[in-house]
Amino acid sequence: MSSRTDDRSKEDSGALLALASEIAGRASKDEAIEAFVTHEREFYVKVYEGEVESLSSAQPRGAGVRAIVGGRAGFAYSTDLSTEGIEAVVAQARDNATYATPDEAVAVAERAESEPAPIPGLFDDEQPEVGPDDKVTFALTLERATRAADKRVRTVEEAVYGDSEADVAIAVSTGIAGSYRRSDAWCYSVAIAEDDGDTEIGFEFDLGRGLGSLDANEVARQAAARAVGVLGASKIPSARMPVVFDPYTAGQFLGVLGSALTAEAVQKGRSLFAGRLGEAVASGNLSLIDDGRAEGAPGSAPWDAEGVATQRTGVITKGVLTSYLYDTASARREGRPSTGNAARAGFKSAPGPAPSNMTFDTTGEGRDEVLRRAGRALLVQDFHGVHSGANSVTGDFSVGVTGFLLEDGAPVRPVKEVTIAAPMLEILKGIEAVAVDRRWLPFGGSFGGATTLISEMTVAGL
Amino acid sequence: MAAGAPAGGLAELFVEERRSSSFRLEDSRVEDVASGYDLGAGVRVISGERASYAYTNLLAPEALLEAAAAARAGLAGGDQDAPLDLRRVEPSAVHPVGLPPSEVGAGDKAAALVAADEAARAAGGDVRQVVASYADVHQRVLVATSEGLIASDDRTRVRFAVQVVAARNGEIATGFEAPGHSGGFELLERQPAAELGSKAAAKALRMLDAKPSPAGEFPVVLAPGSGGVLIHEACGHGLEADALVKEASVYANRAGERFGSDSVTIVDDGSDAGAWGSFGVDDEGTPAQRTVLFERGVLTGHLSDVRSAKKIGHPPTGNGRRQSYAHHPIVRMSNTYLLPGPDDPQEILSSVRRGVYAATFAGGEVNPATGNFVFGMAEAYMIENGVITHPIKGATLIGNGPQVLGTIDAVATDFDRKEGVCGKDGQAAPVTNGMATVLLGKMTVGGTEA
Repeated sequence: MSSRTDDRSKEDSGALLALASEIAGRASKDEAIEAFVTHEREFYVKVYEGEVESLSSAQPRGAGVRAIVGGRAGFAYSTDLSTEGIEAVVAQARDNATYATPDEAVAVAERAESEPAPIPGLFDDEQPEVGPDDKVTFALTLERATRAADKRVRTVEEAVYGDSEADVAIAVSTGIAGSYRRSDAWCYSVAIAEDDGDTEIGFEFDLGRGLGSLDANEVARQAAARAVGVLGASKIPSARMPVVFDPYTAGQFLGVLGSALTAEAVQKGRSLFAGRLGEAVASGNLSLIDDGRAEGAPGSAPWDAEGVATQRTGVITKGVLTSYLYDTASARREGRPSTGNAARAGFKSAPGPAPSNMTFDTTGEGRDEVLRRAGRALLVQDFHGVHSGANSVTGDFSVGVTGFLLEDGAPVRPVKEVTIAAPMLEILKGIEAVAVDRRWLPFGGSFGGATTLISEMTVAGL
Repeated sequence: MAAGAPAGGLAELFVEERRSSSFRLEDSRVEDVASGYDLGAGVRVISGERASYAYTNLLAPEALLEAAAAARAGLAGGDQDAPLDLRRVEPSAVHPVGLPPSEVGAGDKAAALVAADEAARAAGGDVRQVVASYADVHQRVLVATSEGLIASDDRTRVRFAVQVVAARNGEIATGFEAPGHSGGFELLERQPAAELGSKAAAKALRMLDAKPSPAGEFPVVLAPGSGGVLIHEACGHGLEADALVKEASVYANRAGERFGSDSVTIVDDGSDAGAWGSFGVDDEGTPAQRTVLFERGVLTGHLSDVRSAKKIGHPPTGNGRRQSYAHHPIVRMSNTYLLPGPDDPQEILSSVRRGVYAATFAGGEVNPATGNFVFGMAEAYMIENGVITHPIKGATLIGNGPQVLGTIDAVATDFDRKEGVCGKDGQAAPVTNGMATVLLGKMTVGGTEA
């Protein structure tokens, strides 16, 4: 790593934290102010048929400010970080606060006795040295390899490489002042396969802290395999049968569960888990963990979006619901500490509770072992319509799927245009095994999915 | 233009100023009061098949030049410094703003939330939670290109949403209303917040009595308005020219082919006065227009932005939209409508012996390459012997875009619109869907009763 890059980034971090602290320092006596300031460096390239189709690079920065006076919170953001801009955004946040209904629970985070330890490997020191040419070459390689992976791959709809290096600073008038740097790199490929008049689509991605940890050839191979594998898929007769989620669909299922497991959703009566703390909500071998410090996971950071240290929380322990996920306000409402689960989409949004990195603990079997145990079952490769067919308030879960019919644990025919349905609590109680093949999915949060066997669901087809 | 287009290419500057305010109520408390100010610019350089984009939120001249240089650096090729003859493009439609949100006091916006909450809670003790939100955006954009085009647009949008959660004997159900338009605060004079709260509560209470949906093949009647999302997802996305040129659409190379009966005419109309998905010019400076996608059952049109239009050799249809200056433009729908037909809605219902009435969809998803789609139903009922009997829950509709057009057996006169937000390539865009009561002859319905 060159010293030039190192110096520049240290400057960025320091300046950002100074700016955040200056904003927080504007709080008057009976007021609390929280400032969240970010400066990112982003790169994105999409290729098509051996050419760069689009390329984007930018260094967005901005500040989000929350002012809290007497239990009333107001939020404002601005991309104008001049003295006048800061002045204006703080005034706007204060003004907004006057229209909020007072709520004793609403407050900024208090300063903890100790600061959280840094998370190893959150920033890839090699990544700033990777040039745009290397990134474009990576995307071109990904596209070429996807096309070459199988002769039935007719085209690659998209092959994309993207990354971001972010400096994040958070300061609160209660004395919290923290900053960190993180880097992320990702890629994906969308293969379109055609054979005998049928067309199918296959998506695969990889993610890491830098380009060096991404595997273009494996992504290409899997994108092609996922498209080719379901060529000729058809409906199967309606039945009740065992269902296996692959890591990708298991991660999406966790995403639906996650929004119902924040304390706020429970307190406000919009969670299927409301009133079930201490109850058996899943099969006895199932544990669900939220870990804001998981190494290599997309949602990891030493501080949450309110400046609280992140932590590991057991949400379901051996089938029993043991904890919800708390930010500062929802924790104060129950007179307990936050679990460090305040999140935000960026400086343009106020913090709110959300899972950090959520995953089922494995029950220890390998994928093949889980499939064998499933016997005759439906293996689900893709969900369709999750955001409409899954409802974390009512617990209804009914989605379209593409996948395979398994006989004795081996795929015998591809399946599409069928739906699977069961109440979510029944799905949780029916989970018999979670394999060791976990991977992190960065869609709508960070969820670790693994091959998961569910004893029975309703499959609707012919 | 300083950006400097490569020889034979195009350079484009997009400047955006956006002021937004939003309010949210939950637990009968106004909780999230937020406002935002964005000022930024994006520079795009197109050379042949390639495009490069850079953006900045520092609007100093040096920062713009730096962004332009970054965009150009993404492409190889020489500069072109020919003088420009700027050609101003005028918006094709005006969307009047009666009461500009900036002139409405924040107290009035917060009061609307409280009115919705009170009306919803007055519907009965089974109403457990009400979430109401109000948002307004005032966006001014300027587009200028090295081809001499200069265009600007001034857009104001307001949306109000109410979600009601009801519970009884361990059953939970939700109801939702979310109108929006291109215009000002007068939205809430036309559709008072209290009425929206009552309507959402009534839906949630009705759905408390829902029985599990049957699974299998049934005739399906789509209610006016909400059913339009099916056309948006199953037909509209496949006719976006970026998918067509990559042959990643089930509709590629099929113009002139018949997909449905004479009663199927589908348009996309970004110029529809005051509609939520409308604009004056799109985000590339092309005037908003009405494009016929299917004319009496026959595929006749497509939607394009500047780049995809060039590839297929047609003028752009004014469907190049972007979420903000931080996004490059892509092909998007605006207001997509299945036009009303000749049939009587009551007669359509009467013709169904055993089927499903889809009153509100929760959203949907489609695979443009295959046309396969899935939609969840937020509010649905059984139809038995031509009459709506009881509500059902957990129902999904599954099928294939081109095939569903062929199953449209009747289209009624009672056209209505529903507003939504469409996601594509990580960008959100306001869109409207519209249709009348429609009969689909036979569809696969997913549910829990095998």
